[in-house]
This record gives sequence, C-alpha cells and structure tokens, in this order.
Amino acid sequence: MGYKWQRGRKVKMSDIDVRDAFFDKVYALAQKDRNLLFLTDDMGAYSLDAFKKNLPDQFINVGVAEQNMISVAAGLALSGKKVFVYGIAPFITMRCYEQIKVDLCCMNLPVTVVSVGAGHTYGSDGPTHHATHDIAIMRALPEITILNPSDAVTTAAFAEMSYKSSGPCYVRIERGRLPQIYNEPDNDFSEGLKCLKSGSDLTIIATGEMVHQAFKVVKRLAEHSVDAGVIDFYRIKPVNENLLLNFLEQSKKIVTIEENSIIGGIGTIVSEILSDNNKPFPLKRLAVNDYHCYKYGDREWLNALSGLDEDSIVKSILDWI
Amino acid sequence: MQKKIYNLKRKANWIRNQVLEMIHKAGKGHIGGAFSCTDILVALYYGGILRFDPARKDWNERDRFILSKGHSSSVLYTILADLGYFSSSHILNYGQPGCMLGGHPDRNIPGVEIDSGSLGHGLGIGAGLALSAKMDKNNFMTVVLLGDGECCEGSVWEAGMFAARHKLNNLVAIIDRNGLCATDFTNNCVYLDPLEEKWSSFGWDAHTINGHSFEGIISALNDFRARKSNKPLAIIANTVKGKGVSFMEGSPNWHHSVPKGEQIEIARRELKWATNGSGGAK
Repeated sequence: MGYKWQRGRKVKMSDIDVRDAFFDKVYALAQKDRNLLFLTDDMGAYSLDAFKKNLPDQFINVGVAEQNMISVAAGLALSGKKVFVYGIAPFITMRCYEQIKVDLCCMNLPVTVVSVGAGHTYGSDGPTHHATHDIAIMRALPEITILNPSDAVTTAAFAEMSYKSSGPCYVRIERGRLPQIYNEPDNDFSEGLKCLKSGSDLTIIATGEMVHQAFKVVKRLAEHSVDAGVIDFYRIKPVNENLLLNFLEQSKKIVTIEENSIIGGIGTIVSEILSDNNKPFPLKRLAVNDYHCYKYGDREWLNALSGLDEDSIVKSILDWI
Repeated sequence: MQKKIYNLKRKANWIRNQVLEMIHKAGKGHIGGAFSCTDILVALYYGGILRFDPARKDWNERDRFILSKGHSSSVLYTILADLGYFSSSHILNYGQPGCMLGGHPDRNIPGVEIDSGSLGHGLGIGAGLALSAKMDKNNFMTVVLLGDGECCEGSVWEAGMFAARHKLNNLVAIIDRNGLCATDFTNNCVYLDPLEEKWSSFGWDAHTINGHSFEGIISALNDFRARKSNKPLAIIANTVKGKGVSFMEGSPNWHHSVPKGEQIEIARRELKWATNGSGGAK
C-alpha cells in the first residue's frame, strides 16, 4: 500500500483525491522549476490553492477563454516554458480544439492539457459538461500523447511524465478517491498499458475509472465460471500495439468498456488494431450511447443508461459469449 | 531621412514585383492582402524597427515578428530570402510540389516564428511570448500583424484582454485595416469600427496611421522599446487591399485571385519602378 505526505500528514494513496495527486505533483515540480507555469480557465481545485498562494508568478488564471489559454501556452512554450493548462474536459478540448491542433500539435510544443470531468463525471450538469467525445477528437491529433490514469499513483506519475515530455500531452484525470491499483514507486508506466489480470476466456480493456468497474465485472463473471482478464489501457495514444496484441492473443475474446462515446474511443482503437493486424478476434464494445444525454442524474445513473453499470455489463458479456 | 524613405519605397516596390511573379508562376496565393501589408513589413524589417540577425536565427534577444494573417506569406518569404534567412531559389519554387514555402508560413522555415494560416491565433501566442519575455527580463519585443477581417475572431479579443491585464507593453499588434476580408467588405460582415476606440477600451494604447506611409509607420514604432506606457500597443494601419495595382485596389475580388493574361501585363506596368518613387506607391 502506498502512502504520501500531504500537507504534513501521511495518507494512503487511496485516500487522496486524484486531482490532489496530480496537482500536488505539479506543485512539487514547479517549486523546483520556475519555468513550469500553470494556466487555468478559471477552474480551481483544493490542492491548487497552495500553488496559487506560494508560486503566484507561475500560476495564471486566464479567465474563461480556452482558445486564448492554449495560444498563450504555446507562446510561453516557444520561449522555453513547461506549461500545464487546466479546465473541464469538454471545454478544454472542444472549444479550443483548433488551437490545440495548430498551436500545440503542429508546432509540437511541450504543453500539457489537463482535464477533469471524464465521461459523465459532471452528471446532472447536462450534456454541455459531459466529456464523451474528447478521446475521439484528441486521438486524431498526430503529435499528442493521451494519458488516462486509473488511481492516485498513476495520476501522480502522469503529472511527472507529461512534465518531462518534449511534446504535447492530454491528461484526463478523475475527481475524488479511487481504490489504489498500483504500488509506488517501482511501477514503470512507459509501456502504455498493463495487464492487471489475465483471463483465459476473455479480456476486458478499460481506461480511467472504468478499470475499477472492470474488476467488479470480473468478480461477477467468475461466479458464472467465466475467467476474464483486465487490461488498464492508461495510455490511449500512442498505443503500444505489440504489447496489446500479445495480451489479446492469450484470450481471443475482447471486451472494451469506456465512458466515452461508442464512436472513436478505445473500442474503436482496439477494433482498428485488430483489423490492421488481421486478427479477427470477437470484440464487444461497451461505451456511452451515440447521443447527447438530456436525462439528469449522477454519474453512475447516467452510465447505467448506456449499459455501463455493473449488472448491465455482466449481462451484456454473458449474452455475448 | 529622405534617402531612407526613398530606399524603403524602392524595396517595397521590388517586393511587390517579386510577389506578383511568385503568385503568377504558382497560380495561387493571396495577392490583395500581401500588397496591403507590404509597406508595413518593409518598414519593420528594413526601417530599423525590428531587432534580428539572420546569422543567429535562434538568438534569444531577437524581436519576434508574428504574421498572424499568414496568408500574406509571400511578402514575408520574399523579405526573409532577401535578408539571407534562406536561399532565394526557394522563392522561385513557391507553391510548387515539394517546396519549402507553402501558402502559409510554418516554423520549419528559417526566420518564421510560428505556424500561422488559421486566423485568430497569433495575438494569443504573441501574448505568451511577451509574457515570457517579462518573466525572463528579456527585452525583446513581440510584434503581431493581424488582418482586419481576422479581428472578427473572438480569440483576438480574448488575447487583447489578457495582454492588457498582464501589462504587456512589450507587445505590439498592427492591424492591416484594408477594409476587406476574403469575399466582402469587413463592415458588411460585422461592426468593426471604431477600431482604435475598441482597442483603447480593451486597455491598449491605440493609434491610427496610414499603413502606406513609411514616415507614419516608423514614427509610430521607432521608439517602441522605450515606451513609458505599461499598456500593449495597437497600431491600426489604414491600407488599401491590392495596393499598387489599380484593378486590385480596394476590390473584394483580389483576396486570392491570380492575375492572368492582360492583367499580369497591366500589373507589371503599374509596378514598374519610376525613379521618382511612384512605382507601386501611388
């Protein structure tokens, strides 16, 4: 079990809000590197208060202006700064998508776009705040690295990985506390994905919070004598195709679970890889419906509408196999 | 001063001729906007305003010139080649398959600071560069040339507010106010005027000049590094789209049309240098 010193207290990694895990790491890096700058589109987080208070010259609230935030970040990066830009997922990807394309990706600049609000995180706030297309659009950009951590350990590690990157990154972080999957500090996340459990009947590929959902599903499937494995697909781009295919060869049936639209997310990525490599393995894609959801409720309830609750996933898989 | 102005006029005329031939040969290009901002770029690069050194392209103290209206690339390319950033042979290949110089500038071209072509990006990037210079106590200036049609983009005004908030007095926006966008007069699209007052109200020092007067351009910018104001500076440069060729001047038809047949002959004739400095500078 990993621990972390947080504001003078020793706390378990599973007790840390994953946003804090990310921003505390960025803050620690910024204390050592005055060229690290943090830009926000008027979004805050508890753990950003210390950054703002103690490193005011490195913390810039640009206001609700995502397009300008990305362009300013590009200008700063052109002068040698390491820049993090932060906002709610649909706004910091879709509103300024062309700035991300031209200013960050075409010029291949070391700017990290950090989003909160993956999938239905902002449940009852409605479709304006849902992030169910961000993976689909961001993965279309050639230069970008996309990271989707699944616990506090990966979240903190990805803050450092993106800081060290020489090109643009998109990190899709969660909110709240997540069960710890990885141990510190001996985990190497450079491989892009991790087989957390092997399964002889099928393999579930998930990313972010859905990795935890996958583990719940695996337990339920075992009650039906189905041995399912889990792959944490934490680096969405670039995909480690060879490693993924090696794992998939072992089970030959694949399920993808994601809180992203059925169009363009990890189900699409896996199907592309299977097709391109002439691997006709059965694939079941479970994802958010191709719709804008005008039903209001919390994240779990909205996910259930798309069949992404535990019971529905188990049923879908059992019906399918 | 008279001699300097004469030389600048002659250089501008030479550049317009080069641009005419480039675009004619390539069969593509944005000639109207190129001619409207030619005098501005000539003043910046040859009039002693910008600090640069073609032998040291990455010199950290060079001024950053950003052609936010990237479609006027043909003027910038001609100047950069003339100054020795790259061989003039590239100019002859403009727009040809496999060439270095495309329709819009990119950072792989020596002397070009940013990729541009999509409008509304340059001022925000310029603000980032200017802010970085402040942080690093580097006294380089950032000069961004925008089109007036580009000022329809909301991101321009986002950047304007940001620059004023951060007191970026090392940032200059020059607006090529030729009154035309791609297919129409700007004022038929949106209510742009009064442009100077708009920039002033956004917290900038703002002045309007004749964008074809070298005296006016130099007078507005020659002491820009030593300005006492803590505000960024906006120069609204009133210009004529297609400046120098009668049938192009002020016409909405010459955003990216290419002169052909008799048109090219008329353009060449009108841009022929006259020793009294009138060629292309009527």
